[in-house]
Amino acid sequence: MSEYAVLGKRVPRVDALEKVTGAAQYGGDVHLPGMLHGKFVRSKHPHAKILNIDTSEAEKLPGVRAIITQDDVESGRRVFASDKVLYLGEPIAAVAATDPDIAEEAADLIQIDYEVLPAVQDVMEAIQPDAPRLHSDDTKDGPARRAISTVLRKLERDNSQDHSAEIAELNAQLETIEGEVYYNISAETHSASGDVEQGFAESDLVVEDTYVIPRVHQTYMEPHVSVADVESTGKVTVWASTQGPFAIRSGIAGTLGIPLNQINVIPTTMGGGFGGRFGVVLTHVPAVLLSQKTGRPVKIQMTREEEFTDGRPAPGCVIKLKTGVKNDGTILAREGLAFWDSGSISGASIGSTIRLRGVYKFPHLKVDAYGVYTNKSGTAAYRAPGTPQVAFAGESQLDEIARKLNLDPVEFRLKNMRVTGDPVPAGPKEPKVGYKETLQAVADAVDWKNRTKGPNQGWGVAIGDWTNGCGPGGMFVSIHEDGSARIFHGSIDITGTDTALAQIVAEILTLPYEDVTISRGDTDSAPYATGSGGSVVTFTMGNTAKLAAEDTQRRLLELASERLNTEVESLELKDGRVSTIVGDPPKSIGFGELAAYSLSTTGGPIVGKGSFARKPSTPALAAQIAKVEIDPETGRIKVLKMASSQDVGFAINPMAVEGQIEGGTVQGYAWATMEEMQYDKKGNVNPGFVDYRVPTSADLPTVESVIVEVEAPDGPFGAKGVGEPPITPTLATMANAVTDAVGIRITELPMKPEKVVAALHGNGK
Amino acid sequence: MKKHPVSLTVNTDTYDLLIEPRKTLLATLRDTIGLTGTKEGCSTGDCGACTVIVDGKAVTSCMMLGVSANGKEITTVEGLASRDQLHPIQQAFIDKGGYQCGFCTPGFIVASKAYLDENPNATEAEIRHALGNNICRCTGYTKIIEAVMSAAEAMRNA
Ligand code: FES
Ligand code: FES
Repeated sequence: MSEYAVLGKRVPRVDALEKVTGAAQYGGDVHLPGMLHGKFVRSKHPHAKILNIDTSEAEKLPGVRAIITQDDVESGRRVFASDKVLYLGEPIAAVAATDPDIAEEAADLIQIDYEVLPAVQDVMEAIQPDAPRLHSDDTKDGPARRAISTVLRKLERDNSQDHSAEIAELNAQLETIEGEVYYNISAETHSASGDVEQGFAESDLVVEDTYVIPRVHQTYMEPHVSVADVESTGKVTVWASTQGPFAIRSGIAGTLGIPLNQINVIPTTMGGGFGGRFGVVLTHVPAVLLSQKTGRPVKIQMTREEEFTDGRPAPGCVIKLKTGVKNDGTILAREGLAFWDSGSISGASIGSTIRLRGVYKFPHLKVDAYGVYTNKSGTAAYRAPGTPQVAFAGESQLDEIARKLNLDPVEFRLKNMRVTGDPVPAGPKEPKVGYKETLQAVADAVDWKNRTKGPNQGWGVAIGDWTNGCGPGGMFVSIHEDGSARIFHGSIDITGTDTALAQIVAEILTLPYEDVTISRGDTDSAPYATGSGGSVVTFTMGNTAKLAAEDTQRRLLELASERLNTEVESLELKDGRVSTIVGDPPKSIGFGELAAYSLSTTGGPIVGKGSFARKPSTPALAAQIAKVEIDPETGRIKVLKMASSQDVGFAINPMAVEGQIEGGTVQGYAWATMEEMQYDKKGNVNPGFVDYRVPTSADLPTVESVIVEVEAPDGPFGAKGVGEPPITPTLATMANAVTDAVGIRITELPMKPEKVVAALHGNGK
Repeated sequence: MKKHPVSLTVNTDTYDLLIEPRKTLLATLRDTIGLTGTKEGCSTGDCGACTVIVDGKAVTSCMMLGVSANGKEITTVEGLASRDQLHPIQQAFIDKGGYQCGFCTPGFIVASKAYLDENPNATEAEIRHALGNNICRCTGYTKIIEAVMSAAEAMRNA
């Protein structure tokens, strides 16, 4: 796309200097005069009644300024456990002291008496009738009972005729499936289209399996941190390292009952989030409470260990999946039942279970999903929340089918893939998509047809789909008297989105990239911006930037037309000036001159405004192919090649796009092969990097990224959100490669060396 | 808690400090001296975000006590660039897109400097191995390794 001057170019990021010199200010770098430090008292049991909290010894420690518990939360919203703790590490109290070490000493001195209760950590145990229960009102019918109860309820409501015989019959049926009542259920979702039973009956081959995906932590490198300062007027200022300052503002307001306009959230540079940095209860709310109580600024910084025990990681899940196909590889039906481990709080990305349908065209689909309470911390989003898990199940099963039918796994997928306009099972029609192009691109990149392999080597392919979110955003673009432009907005840049916004504005205003600067306001000053999650920023703020730049352009043309005495229609922006399109003699005027002139006009300074709410997003596909080699002695999986393609619509900055593809692919690789938060009866047992291994540069070769551009009709210059898709296929890509290498199908992640060895000896999953 | 006198040099400036024996070098640099470029990612020696150079060797400063740094010469990320020029490694991280959130970046840049000073002809495999104690969660390492390789070349040609 060489028609652009700045877009599509590998320009350096706008924040380059501060990031490489250590000047960037992250949450933990905020230091205010008189600042206190907060630490938590955390539960020592995964499930227990709290009998007594004794703070008397801690209060005597010199340097301690305040101790708070749930009693200090006037709104009554749960910030601390007060009656019972639901997981190991749940906060019960917080201390503010003049030094972090003193605060920690004080926290250790607080005495909690417990009555220990039995705990449950496993989803499949938690749904049983004899499981310990976390909350009340938590039973739900399983799919078969649900089908009957739905009819039953309808009949019971219908007074027009007597259904007593049918009702008795259905009730009798219900009794035969009494075991299908689930306990500890936090949420449920169900979708269907066609008739799966008919689909399976018409199939030549039906494959069924259960997939187990572990809970993993986002592991952003900067642990949660906040600094809160509550003035005597009640004004609350919070320095927050967060993906969504406006979400934090409303979150604090909602949790503590503080008026929105009394809260200012100042976003700091953020050390990664991946979906895990939207919440307020971990540090922001406790810091505000401690500052309210002490009248001093308070900093709370979580340790890495606290991140593992009290963070909000990605949910693990158990997926039972069944797929029916014809001998020629035509997919007919798929049925999935998923149990998502939501920990002690409702939630857990269960809505993504529908993505079990993949990007394939087939008539019969049924998906049932349940969120299940367990004695663990709650969960949150992690890069395409829920999708890597379901893609692991769906794409592993397709691979198995391709093996059984002796079909090429790429051809098999291409044959069944939806194209633009195709019906989506249990969904609307497919908009403009590039699924086939994306899979083909990665296959071409590795020369799939001519692939070769040695002993214990194998190739795996898988895909994952995701649609970027969209949300409201506002932005201003000003032109200064030196002719440069400045963007002012409130959205958070993690991955280089500020750079993309500057590129968009530079392109429209015909300025050199260097002449566009960008600054971020806090929630008091900046217009609203949707949070940086769901791959929304480039799509949403990119559209906003386009509107703001076009508005600026209008004003520049208007002013130039006055100055040059020429109709607006015969003027254009060119190289940072407004010039006559044709004209003899040619006339032109610089932006700087127009900016200076504007100051004396009735219209005032040049400020372009962009305000954007919503446009339809288009689905994106990520496709990956890995070549691995297994050491049968140690079970170690060595990646020999990893190619990762993605339809990004249009790559505004290819360097940043590659960075997303590479980073997401490696996170997926880690989930597949090494990461797993482990729990025993007492709670999380691997809260640190020694036992929770994440990959380093020594683990992997270079990820080869393949950019595919199938324009998104409503994206800025055709761009789609880029951040999330690349993690979605990798779990299955790796599993499929292992199967191709050594013939074992691992359905329970992660594929740690010992599991691979066990599976090779015929006793693994 | 009783404080101990400590004298150390950080990026050519000498500091005479009184610090508690339990404070780490990382806390001393960040909280006492106010150089916050060095980051804390784990405080257990496992992520490399806090890497500084002590007497020519890369050290995870969360694992070293401030009092043990007495008499030592320390280089942090703030000490790499001269007034008008970035260190070639810093420049390469910009040119190659070797960072995203940037939280791991000071640690990677400092660790790379210590390593390339020692082994200017390092191969890709050696660099991947040498940086094996530094965690980056964003980049997938591809562009970090590219950056360090190209910086090594720039340094050799300088
Ligand atoms: S903070 Fe020192 S190694 Fe992680
Ligand atoms: S750039 Fe974010 S951790 Fe490395």
